[in-house]
Amino acid sequence: MSVMNAQAGAVRSMVDFYLTGMRTQIQIGFQYRAATYMYTIGMLSEPVIYLVVWRTIADQHGGTLNGIGGGQIAAYYIVWTLVRTFNIVFTPFGWEWRIREGELSAQLLRPIHPVHYDMATFAGQKIPWLIMYAPLAVGLGFIFHPSLHPRPLEVVVFFVAIWGAYVIRSLNHFVLGMLTLFTTRATALFQIWFLTELLVSGRLVPLTFMPQWAQSIAAWLPFKWTFYFPIEALVGAMSTETLLTGLLWQCLWAAIGSALVFVTFRLSVRHYSAVGN
Amino acid sequence: MAGVVHVDALEKVFRVPEREAGLRASLRSLVNRQWREVRAVDGVSFDVEAGEVVGFLGPNGAGKTTTLKMLSGLLHPTGGGARVLGHVPWGREREYLRRMTLVMGNRNQLQWDLPALDSFELNRAIYRLPREPFRETRDELIELLDIGDLVRKPVRQLSLGERMKVEVVGSLLHLPQVLFLDEPTIGLDVTMQKRIRNFIAAYNERYGATVLLTSHYMADVEALCKRVIVIHHGKLLFDGRLEALADRFGAYKTIEAVLADGETISMQVPRNETSAATARLLAENEVHDLTVEDPPIEDVIEQVFAS
Amino acid sequence: MRRGLQLAWTYTRLGVLNEMQYRANFFVAIFQSLLGVAVSIAVLALVYSHTDALHGWTQSELLVVLGVQILLGGVIHASVQPNMERLTQDVQDGKLDFLLSKPADSQLMISLRELRLWQLVDVVSGAIVVAVGVSRLQTSVGIGHAFAFLALLLVGASLLYCFWLILATGSFWVINMWFLSDLFEGVYQVGRWPIGVYPGWLRYSMTYLVPIGFAVTVPAQAVTHRLHWVTVVVALGFATVVFVVARRFWRFGLSRYSGASA
Repeated sequence: MSVMNAQAGAVRSMVDFYLTGMRTQIQIGFQYRAATYMYTIGMLSEPVIYLVVWRTIADQHGGTLNGIGGGQIAAYYIVWTLVRTFNIVFTPFGWEWRIREGELSAQLLRPIHPVHYDMATFAGQKIPWLIMYAPLAVGLGFIFHPSLHPRPLEVVVFFVAIWGAYVIRSLNHFVLGMLTLFTTRATALFQIWFLTELLVSGRLVPLTFMPQWAQSIAAWLPFKWTFYFPIEALVGAMSTETLLTGLLWQCLWAAIGSALVFVTFRLSVRHYSAVGN
Repeated sequence: MAGVVHVDALEKVFRVPEREAGLRASLRSLVNRQWREVRAVDGVSFDVEAGEVVGFLGPNGAGKTTTLKMLSGLLHPTGGGARVLGHVPWGREREYLRRMTLVMGNRNQLQWDLPALDSFELNRAIYRLPREPFRETRDELIELLDIGDLVRKPVRQLSLGERMKVEVVGSLLHLPQVLFLDEPTIGLDVTMQKRIRNFIAAYNERYGATVLLTSHYMADVEALCKRVIVIHHGKLLFDGRLEALADRFGAYKTIEAVLADGETISMQVPRNETSAATARLLAENEVHDLTVEDPPIEDVIEQVFAS
Repeated sequence: MRRGLQLAWTYTRLGVLNEMQYRANFFVAIFQSLLGVAVSIAVLALVYSHTDALHGWTQSELLVVLGVQILLGGVIHASVQPNMERLTQDVQDGKLDFLLSKPADSQLMISLRELRLWQLVDVVSGAIVVAVGVSRLQTSVGIGHAFAFLALLLVGASLLYCFWLILATGSFWVINMWFLSDLFEGVYQVGRWPIGVYPGWLRYSMTYLVPIGFAVTVPAQAVTHRLHWVTVVVALGFATVVFVVARRFWRFGLSRYSGASA
């Protein structure tokens, strides 16, 4: 009985930690409004460029490309911005800084696994981001005339899927970041990772525009579940079966990510030299 | 097994790549990496009882900080063992992490943009402290270090000394039984140094916590520690009472005087002859400026090591 | 003027000597550059698998645009960006005073003191991509075009430098400018595609407000036979005006910062 109480207590404390951590981030997020807007504009240029280029191509071909019309392309990339806001997590490139500044040491001294700091922090950041971003999204809608008619189920799956994307990407980036403890050339690995993500996640284009062999590769990698799946859930016409199996796939990749975090963390802590900080 | 902290032949060896200048050498190093061994901690053993305040003295790079980092679980040793509060520190068990704290001078663990009070809330959640007792402890510590007006300002607006004070309080909210303090007063002015020292002494008295403190300021150690451990080149050179240390190491004093005609006299005299020598100096010369100093720690320890 | 040039040379020499110490970075830079080029070409290939011409630009012509963007990007990453980042950092940390006490032109100093030599690898990659693109064009390129191309490259580099300088000068007022590099990287990608692709308001802002259009597309126009002499005149005039404005703004910001008229 006391074991169950202990478990319940542990879960309650973790929830408490997440809520407190998120609340802290919300306070900070609203402090730096101007900087956040500037960052958002930089972030928006990516999907806007893709949108414009692919729309131009579609228009040159009589309005549709691979059966997808201009309005849907616009919808894809505007929903893209929403999904992107949600899957921004601590960058593996930041680990070098984090180690040097002693932030990792500080985290290691606390009785909580460091991955929770990042997850709570970035989850909290989403809220001020979304609030500040909403008018921009509406503006983009007016400019590019997306065609968006989701079913209720699609909206629900979308909300679950963006959090799934967040979790998967957080875990993957944490594992990548830990590689910094093993090698000084980790940044080269990160670049290969991000390049792959760009091409097979649906970040660059809807996966249906990619050649068939790329799509087959994408099916075996976690990337499409962090971009393409949430976007398509809302924008595309996926069957109920596809939507639900998609969520299961996300669970699977989240489980794999957690296992990797667990294993890599144990290994990398031994390697940690904490020199100078 | 003795006491709260038990350290047994603890060892930490770092492998550092050799780096030479010049085009040829760096090309060679791409193929054939040369490594150098740095014995940061080289077989250190000691025991600390509950409630003791022990000072670790030694120059920069002596191995004091590395020892503390191992005892706080940040580093894995390459040899030997240790137990603190019955736990192996680098096992990083949650139970252990909740009962100890490591404070490093000049290091921020609090949120930069928010008032310290908000960071304290976060610590409460991290350490799973029940709300009411936490509030009491927090308010007590705030009063003890007199930072009531500081905790509501964003941390980035505080001066270096003020920041150190809130950092210290933040790291004690979970009432740890073992404190590892790494150069807690570095870079602070004299008044602030005193305040922090007094606070640590008060905490130690009130809660019976064991304190391991490193510093290269003699003043810190003199104020707080009855027992000191001297570490140099990773080895333990001395472990005993502070008085014995002063007698053995601080055997000399340096007297410097600037005379009326601009000439400077500098001399080393045995400790017990200090006042006689000073008196004679003042009687025989017109002195404009006079300093009587303990020899710097580095010199002293070099002397001991040489002997 | 001569002093200024001497100082510029000294900074460059020091920067090179410094960077030579980190020879491994050379290989890293080559790897990064090749990776970047590979991705960009893959994207181009993907786009052109669906169409023959994008807003009238063929694949080879777009290769030229890509090459110019990479080339100028190399110049920016090697010199402009590190200097401007350091400037905003120094302003935030209050370290600028040290520099201002020196008897040399402040703008020169803050613009040249940092150098990431190995990023210049991108200049080579970009040049190669341009060359490949030009070699596959239907029409040939003459000496006149080449000259115009180089001149407009310089104009483009100058415009981008001034743009960065104006933004970085803003740090005198808006202390926290951590987003600057992300913002620029994001917006700079716009230059990868011919400006005509974008809707009107975006096109204008990308040409005049954020001079990507001038910097990247115009030199590309020189070797793809799209260049009107009017564009050249406007480009030169615009660059001159922007340079003067940037310098004035810098001096203004500086005077506010140090509380004296510089």
